[in-house]
Amino acid sequence: MQQERHNRYEKARILGARALQVSYGAPVLIETKQTEPILIAAEEYDAGVLPFTVKRGYDRK
Amino acid sequence: MTNVHYDVDDDTIAVVEDTNLPRRLKDEVYETLEDRGDATVEDADELSKAVEARYMDTRVDPLDPVGTVSAQSIGEPGTQLTMNTFHYAGVAEIDVTQGLPRLIELVDARKTPDTPMMTVYLEDEYATEREKAHEVVWNLEATKILALGDVSTNVADMRVQISLNKDTLEERMITAEEVAEIIEDNLGVSTVQQGTEIQFGPEEPSYRDLLQLVEELRDITFKGIEEVSRVVIRREELDEGEQFVLYTEGSAFGDALEIEGVDASRTTCNNLHEIHRNLGIEAARETIIEETHNTLAEQGLDDVNVRHLMLVADMMTNRGEIESIGRHGISGSKQSVLARAAFEVTVNHLLNAAIHGEIDDLDGVTENVIVGKPIKLGTGDVDLRMGSTDSGGSQAD
Repeated sequence: MQQERHNRYEKARILGARALQVSYGAPVLIETKQTEPILIAAEEYDAGVLPFTVKRGYDRK
Repeated sequence: MTNVHYDVDDDTIAVVEDTNLPRRLKDEVYETLEDRGDATVEDADELSKAVEARYMDTRVDPLDPVGTVSAQSIGEPGTQLTMNTFHYAGVAEIDVTQGLPRLIELVDARKTPDTPMMTVYLEDEYATEREKAHEVVWNLEATKILALGDVSTNVADMRVQISLNKDTLEERMITAEEVAEIIEDNLGVSTVQQGTEIQFGPEEPSYRDLLQLVEELRDITFKGIEEVSRVVIRREELDEGEQFVLYTEGSAFGDALEIEGVDASRTTCNNLHEIHRNLGIEAARETIIEETHNTLAEQGLDDVNVRHLMLVADMMTNRGEIESIGRHGISGSKQSVLARAAFEVTVNHLLNAAIHGEIDDLDGVTENVIVGKPIKLGTGDVDLRMGSTDSGGSQAD
């Protein structure tokens, strides 16, 4: 399925999940000056390097 | 290609039709372009792109709690509605229930509203000539004996005497013979009719029967529709020009539509169930939207977005019949035991569910709040997986 732009809920969910990983010590995927996990996650999201997929509609279950 | 009724060139049409806009907005874009006259294809492209961007931004996101938002958006103005009914507040001095009581009446889908009424539009010459319009009025308004003449009781001879008014008879298009016949049919007595005088009495001389007859005589509807107690005729400026419009107190929608001269395509009624019976569920849905909107607008609260009202109307009608919101309707017929228990009479619902061994699939919002799981809305319903299907594609906005 072609992934459309994420809506606000999907974006929030992705950032939350990634921030948690980062705060637990996951390797950060980009060069950044940020220290807050959530801000690091945001930068990673903007850079498009996050390996997440959102399952939608008929793709689910 | 869809045919476009606007005076714009083919390239422009191609550009506009290529967007993801609904028909109505496309037409509006064409209209604007047409008005400009000198708009180039580039202008058209820029305009339709801008409109499309705005349209996409204003759409509701998937997973949005639209029902909750609707409830709040109607509930808040609801606190500002008048809580008591004002009399004679509607059009043409007809008493109409307004404000909160009316709104409650609508969402409860009451069988008969507190103040039933119809707005009757007329056809052709009936709409423009006062005489013709009055003909319809007499066919609508229930005519009782007191409107036609005087009734007196002759106790000595045990007779009821009616002297009809000749002008009124003529005006209301009914003859003395017809009046006598209706009395015979309804009361089961034989009448003596001479000119405009009608006489009758009980078979056996009895004072009680005589009074009983007079009592019953007053209730007979000689002409018109029994439920319609009053009709107000008004001259109004409409899109079709100046026309007579009738407002009735009391309603009998089906009967009214049958009357000669009534324009069935515009005539309406404020009783949802009558509309549903006569015109079907889609008309009922439309009426719910219209009536709730008018109730709010009456109190200056018409800035409530129609989409909220449409959602309510959709929920009330989507099973093909009108369902009320609340205990006896939508909230009462929820699948989940826990959701119903959370709404009202908790213990009864749980007890019954236990007795019948009901199973709760925990699909709804309430159930999941109760058991402490994320709800299936917003962030809680995003199905996130690790690993991306297509690498390289940017996720950035």
